[in-house]
Amino acid sequence: MRPAARRVIAALVLALVAAACGGGAGDSDEGQGQRAQLNLNAELRIGFTDDQYILEGPDANLGAYPANANIVETLVYINDRYEVVPRLAERWEFRPPNTWRFHLRQGVRFHDGQPMNAQTIKEGLFDRVAAKRNGGTIRATPQSAVVVDEYTIDYTASVPNLRVVEQLVHPQNGALAPGSNHGTRPVGTGPFRFVDYRPKERITVERNNDYWGEKPLVARMTFRFYPDRNARLLALQAGDIDLAYEIPRDDVAGLESRGFTIAKSTVGAYRAIYLNAHGEEPYDILSDVNVRKAIAVGIDRQKHVDGVLDGLATTDQTFVPPSALGASASLIRGHQYNLNAARSLLDNAGWRAGADGIRVKDGRRLRLTLVSGFPSAEVIRPTPTFLQAELRNLGIEVEIVERPDSASFQDLMGRKQGDIFIEDGNQNDANVGFLPILLLYTGPGSSGSGVYQGIAAPGPRFDQLIQPALTEPDHAKLQEIVATAMNEAITEQATVLPLNGVYRIYGMKKSVTGFVPHPSFLNVSWLGVGVTGG
Amino acid sequence: MVPTLLGLSFIAFGLANLAPGDPAQQYLTRVLNQPASQEEIERVREELGLDRPLAVQYVDWLGDALRGDLGVSYATRRPVTTEIAHRVPYTLQLAIPAALLALVIAIPAGVVSALYRGRLPDHVMRVASLAGASLPSFWLALLLILFFAVHLSLVPVAGREGLDSYLLPTLTLALGPAAVLARFTRSTMLEALGDDYVRTARAKGLTARLVVARHALRNALIPVATDFGTRLSHLVAGAVIVETIFVWPGLGKLTLDAVTERDFPMIQGVVLFGGLTVALINLVVDLSYTLIDARVRVGTKAVAA
Repeated sequence: MRPAARRVIAALVLALVAAACGGGAGDSDEGQGQRAQLNLNAELRIGFTDDQYILEGPDANLGAYPANANIVETLVYINDRYEVVPRLAERWEFRPPNTWRFHLRQGVRFHDGQPMNAQTIKEGLFDRVAAKRNGGTIRATPQSAVVVDEYTIDYTASVPNLRVVEQLVHPQNGALAPGSNHGTRPVGTGPFRFVDYRPKERITVERNNDYWGEKPLVARMTFRFYPDRNARLLALQAGDIDLAYEIPRDDVAGLESRGFTIAKSTVGAYRAIYLNAHGEEPYDILSDVNVRKAIAVGIDRQKHVDGVLDGLATTDQTFVPPSALGASASLIRGHQYNLNAARSLLDNAGWRAGADGIRVKDGRRLRLTLVSGFPSAEVIRPTPTFLQAELRNLGIEVEIVERPDSASFQDLMGRKQGDIFIEDGNQNDANVGFLPILLLYTGPGSSGSGVYQGIAAPGPRFDQLIQPALTEPDHAKLQEIVATAMNEAITEQATVLPLNGVYRIYGMKKSVTGFVPHPSFLNVSWLGVGVTGG
Repeated sequence: MVPTLLGLSFIAFGLANLAPGDPAQQYLTRVLNQPASQEEIERVREELGLDRPLAVQYVDWLGDALRGDLGVSYATRRPVTTEIAHRVPYTLQLAIPAALLALVIAIPAGVVSALYRGRLPDHVMRVASLAGASLPSFWLALLLILFFAVHLSLVPVAGREGLDSYLLPTLTLALGPAAVLARFTRSTMLEALGDDYVRTARAKGLTARLVVARHALRNALIPVATDFGTRLSHLVAGAVIVETIFVWPGLGKLTLDAVTERDFPMIQGVVLFGGLTVALINLVVDLSYTLIDARVRVGTKAVAA
């Protein structure tokens, strides 16, 4: 055989071997994890949902949330177990009656070179938040923050607020460099610094080589906004992006079969139904707690997880993530599925099966209106249809009303024009009492959401149980108080029925490593995320 | 035009306020990423002036609008005119090429279909135009993305990164109007080809090409021009679905966001702008008749004389 021919054959054999070792469809850059060298010059391209940054006024939040580009940091942070951990503050203590003292980390600088210290934190965080409506969630005023020494600052809210530390994890309470504009060019202390922003298209950040902590493993990140989830998915498949947020559950199997990696967070969101316990005719059927409990035990949550949510959820019956409640999560007993018990409850409540199987009482059919639409009806499907079928087994006729967006959903809820309201919600800070108090508490000091309270307020016992949460400084005790109150709302009064705890689902190329899927998508940290290959 | 725009502004204001949902609640949900308290909602309603009677709100807005101030967006807190002005170029970047592409496809297709009536080219064109007119644009967009971007990797899925990123959104926007225009062109051509002056032209010995191009087509184009103007107006007013899927920050996406967020000033602003656009395009179409139809030119000169 001629030398040239031998060389050609050798080259072909090598090419075949290389192809056999090559990667799957999900990785256009390179192959398997065997080539694990991180490319520190890589750009990580992230597909996010819609751009909802606000660019003007005290609510400006470019780069902070919902797409958190890690430009700005908070004093404290919640990890993926909803535990509050130090960040710009190394430690903190409560000084009664209403002051929190923060001891700041030393040696940290903002991206423009200004030192991060008590004075710049006062100006760039607390005074900035004080300019927001009501002083923001932490209820700050211009007098709230007091510099004690160079790295110590006291904060006193304008109202008794013992949840300051848990609230400070939210990116809206990040520390900006004094004088920087949070709507055009945010300057923070984070591992990434702002580069460029094209409204509704993308935001780009680059590695902060002077970062005080572990350095980022990518040189740049670009968040591209894809409001349409199908386009986002296709962008991942086409290789336009390396990682995508919010992968629809029914696309998970397809992506995995194409060689992409799916990352699921712990539970950070929930799907729940609110039962109208305070409605007027014709929406007054659920004022009877026995009917509500019948619904509670008549829904097979496991079947919902397996059949509707493709196994990508849990049967947790809290609307605060169980990890946020810690050991106290077990205080919420919830409801075990029991079709016979559900039917008995309805029988005892006087609802008897009619000729067509739908129950009747005093000539009135047991007919309920289920309203779906938060955040949108499309996201919630096909859960309403599932519930309709489950309740039909109990002899309850359900009419489904879908609303296209959250505004119209909440409008119906506010007017109590429905019996059952289904929504997806989530927990974005460490204040476990926030949602139960805001949505359900009607006692003294309540400034909650009238919409939810009007529908599903569990009553005076719940108010009595949760009231200490407003003034409890200890986090563990707070968890216990909240869990006990939630048990009243969910198990005893059944005005709120969490169906499932929901995972956050992210899809990515195999070349992306180190990504920790955070259950709160506002708090994803990009430190430790790298890209392998050239 | 002024009474039309006034009426349009009233309708836009009325419809926006009739839609269920509270702009204040929407804004706070977006700012806080969580439900808002009733107290906060009431405060924002006051900030936005939503606590005033509707008639007062409308009159105040109208007064400002007459001075060119369309108010401040509830959602972005920026002037409505600034937001619209920022978005219009992006929409035009798609609308104009799409409109031209639609014409380039539709007119030859319609003419050929008319000339080969009842034969294979006619059947092919009619099926193609039916499909093009029937396919939902979102489905067409995703199909094109799947084929050209994902399988063939020829163009990006979305975004405005380079000239190749214009291809798919332009094609998606153009195909629907092209399909309808092609059928319309076919109809008007068939009508023109059956007229006496065409028979006369043939009898005089003119070639088929001259008969079609110089005589029949020019008459057939007059109604096509009118329809084209309507389609162009729709494109400029903003292609909501295409701009959403292809991440194109134009007027369509702006309108969708405004409706979702119950951003009343923005809704009113884009509706007014849309009305103005339609009026202007109709004017241009009217003026184009003088180029297409010699009778209009002669008539104009006679009136001028």
